[in-house]
Amino acid sequence: MHLPVRLAGVALLVAAVATPGAAQHAPVPPSTWAITGARIEPVSGPAIAKGTIVIRDGLIVAVGANVTAPADARLIDGSGMTVYPGLIDAAGSLGFPSGNAGGGGGGGAASRATAPNSNYGPGMQAELRAVDQLDPSATAFTAARGAGVTAALTAPAAGIFRGTSALIALRDAPVGELVIRDGIAQHIGFSRGGGGGFGGGGGYPGSLMGVFAQLRQELLDAQHYRDLQAAYARNPRGMVRPDHDPTLAALQPVIAGTQPVVLFANSEREIIRALDLAAEFGLRPIIAGGTEAWKVADRIKAANAPVLLSIDFPRKSAGGGAAAGRGGRSGADSTPEPLRVLRDRVDQPKGAGRLAAAGVRVAFVSGNDYGELPANLRRAVEGGLDKAAALRAMTLEPARLFGVADRLGTIEAGKIANLTLVTGDLFEAGGKVSQVFIDGERYEIPAAATPAAQAPRRAPASAEDDQAAGTDDHDHPAR
Amino acid sequence: MKTLATLVASLVVASGVAAQAPAPPTLITHATVLTVTNGTLTDTDVLLQGGKIAAIGTGLRAPAGATTIDATGQYLMPGIIDPHSHMMSDATNEGSLSVTSMVRIADVLDPTDTHIYDALAGGTTTLNILHGSANTIGGQNAVVKLKYGRTAAEMLFPGAPPGIKFALGENVTRKNSGRVIVVGQPQPQPRYPSSRMGQEEVLRDAFTRAIDYRRSWEDYRARVAKGEKNLVAPRRDLELEPLVEVLEGTRLVHAHSYRADEMLMLLELADEFGFTVQTLQHALEAYKIAPEIARHGAGISTFADMWGYKIEAYDAIPYNVAVTMRAGVLSTINSDDDGRARRLNIDAAKLVRYGGLTDDEALATITINGAKQLGVGDRVGSIEVGKDADVVLWNGHPLSVYSHPLTTFIDGEIFFDVERDKAKRAALEAERAELEAAEPNKVPTPSRGGAGRGATPPADSTWESRR
Repeated sequence: MHLPVRLAGVALLVAAVATPGAAQHAPVPPSTWAITGARIEPVSGPAIAKGTIVIRDGLIVAVGANVTAPADARLIDGSGMTVYPGLIDAAGSLGFPSGNAGGGGGGGAASRATAPNSNYGPGMQAELRAVDQLDPSATAFTAARGAGVTAALTAPAAGIFRGTSALIALRDAPVGELVIRDGIAQHIGFSRGGGGGFGGGGGYPGSLMGVFAQLRQELLDAQHYRDLQAAYARNPRGMVRPDHDPTLAALQPVIAGTQPVVLFANSEREIIRALDLAAEFGLRPIIAGGTEAWKVADRIKAANAPVLLSIDFPRKSAGGGAAAGRGGRSGADSTPEPLRVLRDRVDQPKGAGRLAAAGVRVAFVSGNDYGELPANLRRAVEGGLDKAAALRAMTLEPARLFGVADRLGTIEAGKIANLTLVTGDLFEAGGKVSQVFIDGERYEIPAAATPAAQAPRRAPASAEDDQAAGTDDHDHPAR
Repeated sequence: MKTLATLVASLVVASGVAAQAPAPPTLITHATVLTVTNGTLTDTDVLLQGGKIAAIGTGLRAPAGATTIDATGQYLMPGIIDPHSHMMSDATNEGSLSVTSMVRIADVLDPTDTHIYDALAGGTTTLNILHGSANTIGGQNAVVKLKYGRTAAEMLFPGAPPGIKFALGENVTRKNSGRVIVVGQPQPQPRYPSSRMGQEEVLRDAFTRAIDYRRSWEDYRARVAKGEKNLVAPRRDLELEPLVEVLEGTRLVHAHSYRADEMLMLLELADEFGFTVQTLQHALEAYKIAPEIARHGAGISTFADMWGYKIEAYDAIPYNVAVTMRAGVLSTINSDDDGRARRLNIDAAKLVRYGGLTDDEALATITINGAKQLGVGDRVGSIEVGKDADVVLWNGHPLSVYSHPLTTFIDGEIFFDVERDKAKRAALEAERAELEAAEPNKVPTPSRGGAGRGATPPADSTWESRR
């Protein structure tokens, strides 16, 4: 779809000669656009109260108050609109079959991807690459775009070593056209993997303890592999040739500290464990999730670790689910919710502001709840985060973290034409994403369709997922 | 909201930054001091200073800045030590393999477990948190001081020697029988071994491999010493490293076991491989082989009067501790249970009834003997000058069912105090009321956010943690 316009014109001409009827039903999308009279938040500089953005062949070619729309541009009347750099979702599994994007299935399916010729089992194969596994369904990105999200970091949702992530453009296009940058980070999870885990549920590791042991052993093996290969490269004569190992080869930039690791950790203790592991092996940590990151902001800052912060803030549910019946304290049988649960719901929206105040770099993660994304952004601001910082956390900051700030994250000439157009203001109630541009391609957001309806949430994950299979195995007779 | 923010902020400070400073001194006066190792001292003062028991005597002077507690009519005893617990951990078993010596309880400690506070309220100050008993060689244990409110790292007992869990008998073989197959769930894989014979073989195989592994490092070091160039060190093996430490006597073995025959098997195997089993855990039939256990040098950690919950736990008697102790075995009582961990004084009291232990002997089973079993006998377990100030003040004699702790100290710092607990309740209720009135804690109106929106946990496994 992203053909240069002249080439597309040639193709059209050829098609018109061959089958004139079909050509009338396949209009070529315009490649030149001008959004006029809009309020522009370029992020790279101060807001422009009323200005024009010109897009040509997928790139921003001009932006400013005194820019004139070129004659061949399709015009969009931007009055009443605010234009932002296209929002970036800083972590997730968009584009994976049965990943967390489509709303169905489970992360477990993603863990079934296996690398050929690997010496390590599924879920422990660092050599996997998101770009090799991406297989977005026709509606995979609809909900995300509906919330103004135009690009996302994506990797499988399950496993320990999940492979390297990619930053992708959320277009309806072949996978090759989606990849903005490959090999951004090695993603590491601390669960056995979704949906029963790998190894058929009975395999090692089967507990959080085993996960840490496996991580350590594999990183030690990578160090050993490095030393063996280096010795053999220095002088192969008289030395038995070391085996090739794709997993350990893929971990070399990780243990060298040149490729960062995205560590999924939410609670205070999970974050401490993740940072300890990173320190033990000299890894470059990025914390993802981070719902309690504000409690350990000093440690995160000291580790120089950015946080991909989930803004899928918890709220008390109306009913159903595990929390049902615990809500009210009126009934004689009802148990009051633990204070830590009540505190967490109030504290989480304040986390971003607290992290920013501590000097921690923060990029936002939707947590896959695109229907609530605009409201959650506002809650982060109400919780104490500067509005400009909140916008940066979904634009320039992730672009910097993922090494693409030279092409994405702001509205500047020469950058990729990813834009989010909001009727009103993204940070005001009533602000509504009306359309997005991705690689200069326009996607209109249907007014009626709420993203939440398009992406039904999965059933709550079992709280037992992280638990060892055999907690009944010690010796209290009651168990 | 300002009040709330201030309160939250103060809690953060209390749980984090304040951790480092040594506790201000405390002088406890006119107490009945149950030293455990040196008898009972009446009308005695104890000074806690710099985290240590600084002085024991009469008419002690309170140093500057000290808090003085008049403990007339009250009893001071060492903090209770529970040699077998699974509290405050996010995982208990790595049961997937027969040998999981590479896994560590220290990696999965949960310092926010409220059972810690309950245990403090029962006078318990140190736990041995063990891997479960799903497999013959389990994971590495963690010895902790229950400094509730601190991080896991701050709770690890400084200098406690590392240990490891072994398991014999039914729990290990049970992994292969009676497993419930749930439709739609992955079918559990059977796992070797399915007999006690197999358990012995697993141990023999593992230690044989550990000896080979140790030899590979010894060979490497010898070649390095001879000046060979371009050598690469052997692959580090996290499974075998802890077993080498067992062979070298630097890692303590805590072996879950019930029957006399399986305990004898392990002791003989340990003799053969040249290491000592530190404790036999549960050990309900230890009374049958008390001299053999004593000769090997193992201790036992058992229940006072809990048995019959499975076949291998049938042939038990309440005199197990008395019989083994008289034979020279270092014997302790443990809880193996989050709730029982706060009532270990009652279990100790039962030993006075069954076997005629003295008060000091009974108290030793939940204090100094456990400290010795965990390799920290020089640090805790009795009230002696120079030991850590881990002490508990009781309103009556701790071997009475009518008594309860008033104040629990660890390293001279108060981690439970019954009056403080009462005083805190009103503030907590006020905080709760304020929190419940906050928007995210209100039940949403149906119009808002659609069905099921709210406390739904994160839908995908990307966000693993339970919230």
